[in-house]
Amino acid sequence: MADLAFVPEARRRFNPWPVVIFIVLAVLAVLFLAPTAGVLLSSIKTTRDIAFGALWTIPSELYWGNFAEVLSNPAVHRYFVNTLLVTAPATVVSIALGSLAGYVFAKLPFRGSNLLFLVIVSGMFFPPQAVLIPLFRLFNAMDLIDTLYPIIIIHTAMGIPICTLLMRNFFATVPMALREAAILEGANEWQALTRVALPLSLPALAVLATLQFTWIWNDFLWPLIFTQSDEKRTIMLGIVNLQGQYSVAWGVQGSLSLIASVPTLLVFLFFQRYFIKGMTMGAVKG
Amino acid sequence: MERENRFWQVILLALPLAIFITFVIWPLANSFYYSFTNWNGFNPDYDYVGFDNFLKIHTDQLFLNAAINTALWIVAAIVVPTACGLSLALLIDSRIPGGSVFKSIFYLPICLSAVVVGQIWVWIYQPDWGLLNTVVEAVSGEQFNYAWLAKPDSALWSVIVAWSWQQTGLSMVIFLAGLTTIPEDLVEVCEIEGARALQRIRLVVIPLLAPATVVVIALNVINSLKGFDILYTMTGGGPFNSSDTLAMHMYNESFKKYLMGYGSAISVVLFLIALIIIRLYFRQLRKVDALHG
Repeated sequence: MADLAFVPEARRRFNPWPVVIFIVLAVLAVLFLAPTAGVLLSSIKTTRDIAFGALWTIPSELYWGNFAEVLSNPAVHRYFVNTLLVTAPATVVSIALGSLAGYVFAKLPFRGSNLLFLVIVSGMFFPPQAVLIPLFRLFNAMDLIDTLYPIIIIHTAMGIPICTLLMRNFFATVPMALREAAILEGANEWQALTRVALPLSLPALAVLATLQFTWIWNDFLWPLIFTQSDEKRTIMLGIVNLQGQYSVAWGVQGSLSLIASVPTLLVFLFFQRYFIKGMTMGAVKG
Repeated sequence: MERENRFWQVILLALPLAIFITFVIWPLANSFYYSFTNWNGFNPDYDYVGFDNFLKIHTDQLFLNAAINTALWIVAAIVVPTACGLSLALLIDSRIPGGSVFKSIFYLPICLSAVVVGQIWVWIYQPDWGLLNTVVEAVSGEQFNYAWLAKPDSALWSVIVAWSWQQTGLSMVIFLAGLTTIPEDLVEVCEIEGARALQRIRLVVIPLLAPATVVVIALNVINSLKGFDILYTMTGGGPFNSSDTLAMHMYNESFKKYLMGYGSAISVVLFLIALIIIRLYFRQLRKVDALHG
């Protein structure tokens, strides 16, 4: 389409499709952004304005009181710290464990390793409800209910399937010759994994970091089951809790939602460059 | 060499396997076990009740209702985000200006949590000042106060729309990734051969997207089985259980009524549904692998 100018006069007809597609996409984009825009707009308006039906209009002046209210609330600080204490270790450990297993399945296959791999990968499809009650009983017996440990542990365990799948697929694209060269140079398998295979797999690590961080940060079910006191709540439960406290303060609710979404948005923006590439190599090519 | 390999296989697999077995496989097996008991969640003692919990499923009207809603939910969660994601990916892939901006806009909702998405859409459906009714009023010029989430007829579908809005971006990104693997000259050949755009998409592009489609559908099914958070925050399964799903029903029976034995039986049914999907998924995957190498 860019070389339209060089096409001989006879063939140069106006092609309406790019324009039509652009307009269609632009309309869809506006529709898609509307819900998010509503939250943005609510966060900079007073409750009074919203109650009088002005939520969906552009405000004439910005009101920062909602953000001040949220950011000065000590409960919000606690929710944030708790969520970070769960998300950071569970993300890192699940990716690390997935790398270990994925390396074996890609580079050190053994009799039955394919079957074992399939069993682990099928764990991706297990509904959380299928393991919920026995885990509740287990953590109850270990006296870990209403601490953050069960949430960290279960996110790590439930993350192993997807991490193993993507890391195996990615490691499979690392040439065997590289590993063998490292081994001949006197490296052991651990060094071949950490010094050769992992540095070549940064796109896959970026994809997993994005996926795991987002899932764990945004999770609602596990903290709902395993925590009881407000001191141990994570941010998503905190939002639901505070909805009661700020029941008609929609602006405060909106700014709280925005603030709670900042970490996942940052992680996505940060890893975005690798994300599509990693997806292509890890998931789609299989 | 052989012995050394064995050593590393054991060392590297030990920890991931131990954790996976202890916290996923073992609890899963135990869910089957508890589904034959009447454990109440607190009392350490319980009795074996045989197949009572599964017989109760037969007579539990709420279970039937939740099962139908779950089926609707899964089908909608497969069809809508997959179709919308594919259409958006094809449109964006047609090399229009601003493609990456559009991509980010459509992907954005995936970064938001179900709780946040639920809150956003509760506002859209809000009867008095919600966006939907405001637009309807502006177009029709009449007062319109329909409470979308409070009416049994519309509650489930309203949540499905919100869910699809969030999930479409993920499908789109994977389809876009799949489109980059289609050789450009193949598409050009079709163009020279005179295939029209829609023919090209139907006969060449979509078949070549099969690997991406398998991933998209699998992810949509997985996510739909986990679709508990958004229902919990938007409707809580109501009104009158009209948006109850099996995941929701299981939560209510286990953690509201403390019928953990019966809850386990429901979770076993949920797992069996997942098992059917796992089988279908691996069969499709093998077919696609055979075709695409």
